[in-house]
Amino acid sequence: MQNADAIITDSSGEPKVNYLTNGSTIKSWLLTKDHKRIAIMYLVSVSAFFLMGGLYAAAIRLELLTPASDLMESGTYNKAFTQHGVLMIFFFLIPAIPAILGNFLLPIMIGAKDLALPRINLLSLYFYWIGGGLTLYALLQGGVDTGWTFYTPYSTTFSNTFVMAVGLGIFINGFSSILTGLNFIVTVHTMRAPGMTWFRLPLFVWAQYATSLVMILGTPVIAITVLMLAIERAVHIGIFDPAIGGDPILFQHLFWFYSHPAVYIMILPGMGVISELVSNFSRKKIFGYEFIAFSSIAIAVFGFLVWGHHMFVSGQSIYAGLVFSFLTMVVAVPSAIKMFNWTATLYKGSILWNTPLLYAVGFLGLFLIGGLTGLFLGSIGLTVHLTDTYFVVAHFHYVMVGGQVIAYLGGLHYWWPKMTGKMYSEFWGKISAMLVFVGFNLTFFPQFILGYQGMPRRYASYPEELQVLNIFSTAGASVLGVGLMMPVVYLVHSLFFGKPAGDNPWMLPGLEWRTSSPPPTENFETMPVVTWEAYEFGEENGLDTEEARRREAVSTVS
Amino acid sequence: MSSHASDKFVYHEPGLQHQFEDMKQQEESVSIGMWMFLVQEIMFFGGLFTVYLVFRSKYPMAFAAGSNHLDAFWGGLNTLVLIVSSLTMALTVYYAQKGNRNMQVVLILLTMFFGAVFLGVKAIEYTSKYEDGLVPVAGLNKKVKENPNAEHGAAQAKPCYEMGHGAEHTYINPRGEFQWVDCSLVKVAEKGGFLTPEEKIGYYSNGDIDADKFRDKVRIFYWIYFVMTGLHALHMIVGIGLMTWLLWTAWKGTYSHDYFAPVEMSGLYWHFVDIVWIFLFPLLYLLGRHFLH
Repeated sequence: MQNADAIITDSSGEPKVNYLTNGSTIKSWLLTKDHKRIAIMYLVSVSAFFLMGGLYAAAIRLELLTPASDLMESGTYNKAFTQHGVLMIFFFLIPAIPAILGNFLLPIMIGAKDLALPRINLLSLYFYWIGGGLTLYALLQGGVDTGWTFYTPYSTTFSNTFVMAVGLGIFINGFSSILTGLNFIVTVHTMRAPGMTWFRLPLFVWAQYATSLVMILGTPVIAITVLMLAIERAVHIGIFDPAIGGDPILFQHLFWFYSHPAVYIMILPGMGVISELVSNFSRKKIFGYEFIAFSSIAIAVFGFLVWGHHMFVSGQSIYAGLVFSFLTMVVAVPSAIKMFNWTATLYKGSILWNTPLLYAVGFLGLFLIGGLTGLFLGSIGLTVHLTDTYFVVAHFHYVMVGGQVIAYLGGLHYWWPKMTGKMYSEFWGKISAMLVFVGFNLTFFPQFILGYQGMPRRYASYPEELQVLNIFSTAGASVLGVGLMMPVVYLVHSLFFGKPAGDNPWMLPGLEWRTSSPPPTENFETMPVVTWEAYEFGEENGLDTEEARRREAVSTVS
Repeated sequence: MSSHASDKFVYHEPGLQHQFEDMKQQEESVSIGMWMFLVQEIMFFGGLFTVYLVFRSKYPMAFAAGSNHLDAFWGGLNTLVLIVSSLTMALTVYYAQKGNRNMQVVLILLTMFFGAVFLGVKAIEYTSKYEDGLVPVAGLNKKVKENPNAEHGAAQAKPCYEMGHGAEHTYINPRGEFQWVDCSLVKVAEKGGFLTPEEKIGYYSNGDIDADKFRDKVRIFYWIYFVMTGLHALHMIVGIGLMTWLLWTAWKGTYSHDYFAPVEMSGLYWHFVDIVWIFLFPLLYLLGRHFLH
């Protein structure tokens, strides 16, 4: 056993059983109620879907290398971008942080033995698998070409692709995220350890809580919408078909009532991770804890009031448009509060430039651009020019990839030693973080310009004048792809050859760092009692500040 | 079902799961979880209610016509049945807290009985819609062959607003399509001057009332009717499944003053399904009935 030295031994010399070594049969994984094992299974499956979505992205960028539609014909291209969207949004972005990092860490961070409803948690994983399986089946059969938005009446009447199977997959997968959200809400309410008051919760937990609210309030609406879409497609009554008095705009309203809040499902957890990273890696109590906590809730609430800004040009009333435009500006306020507070936290902090912080700083810059361009698109006048151009594509990739994916990678690196007990290679971590940052900007910044020049999204061909910027974009995508593949290699490598991380490799006060790495099945040997505020860096917290300073000195020298 | 290897010598109350410290924490968790589940159920049905609202405000006359053809007697009876079943369910919870096994079993059986009566009535109603040709899906209605001896064509000669929908069983419907010939309510609304702008476009062609176009709108009503009541019935079936499980556990005497959360949670679910019906009944059966007089 090559990693025998990594097993932490207690006083009697017996190797301690952690959640990974507590049972090794397939059954012990598939029927586990342990939130950590479920999180690991999510990690593997979500990564697989991320890879698949990434392959479609690569196909799209290759096609757009040249102005003509030579690599794929238009129909195939439609399928490529639709499947890229469906896989990335429903099977990667939405479950990524809540179902992997949240599942693993939320109970540990609040000092619980497990989530409140462990069987429901396992059920949500099975829903994810069934939904994902159906979607994969549809893709193998020939895919779907409606765009991930499934706009009617194209999707109900005209499209000859596997709308039903994918719709059913999304429907079932929706219950996975509902159940995860439900579980988190219950857990935060009832499972906090003694002394863990609401305002001592790590901000990651607050963000998960806000996300969960959106999940249980929004996801059922997409479920019923997709169900209606499927029934429509099967029986052709035409409630979404204008030819007989149906209402295609109604579908858009219902769809965006979920899918706009879903955008916040895709960014709020990332913001939670960034709050952790910024505070912990500047070794400073976070600036404006309450403001960050409540801005998460505010984003969740306002997120439900802005869906109409996706429909400025699709026939809703101009007055509704004005109101939605105004509310869209309002929702920028809580996001800005977070940005300012993170920056203020970094100010005069004693910053450790480790991989997770590199990702966090990358997030700050990219999310700034993504958020501000969102205001461009939210202004009802300007958006007429920008709607359905690459400006929109660049905007939401800046928020989704520059926001959620970067935060997810940062969080994954940050908690990797806790999840596996092994330290990854810091050198390769930094290289990959920087490659991702450079590659991402090179891919998507040219798309802002392309969009402003009028290149429409969702076409396989484009005018020749736009080729230079598209070549930049494709080149950037290659760099980004390499940057994203590297963690797969060095993280897996660290599993077998990594240095043992120890219980608290970053010298931090959070509860998750006060149990062993990897944690035992019930997370803590004894029930923890919380006597400190969140993010308090001091000796009275039991933190070895001498050791922290020494490590800091070493890391600045090297 | 509970317990964990590492629990060692800790005393465990019956039904306490390994992740909780005590029964109070467990009950609170389960209860919040159930309420959150009901919240998501409300949002789930909320999407359908929105669709109802949108189409009813667009085509109120078509909705009134469709609604008036539903049988308010059966709908009212079902409302009554469900309210009584809610009572028996609430009493089940009460007797579970008392630990009275026999009363629990009797009341659960009664609740199941009322649930089954509800579904039976629903089946009667669906059958009558099937026979009347009011299932919105083509081919799923009763197929009626042409009778060579009957004189036909007389009905079609009259404009649609002069025909009642009383002659359901005499029409010819060889392919089982959705049938609706009566657009008298449009005439009423036209005279009264309260047609909505969408109706003025949606029901007319060349300035005259068009039976086909009106039928499409009534069909939308029946689409909504079948989807809403169908999903509700599905929830009832799940509820009866829950009751079966509850019956089994109550029979074994599982529940007492200390542990009755499953009964209470199943009760919450049952009441929720009832409440959905309390909204469905007036929306589908009663709104528009004043046009009958």
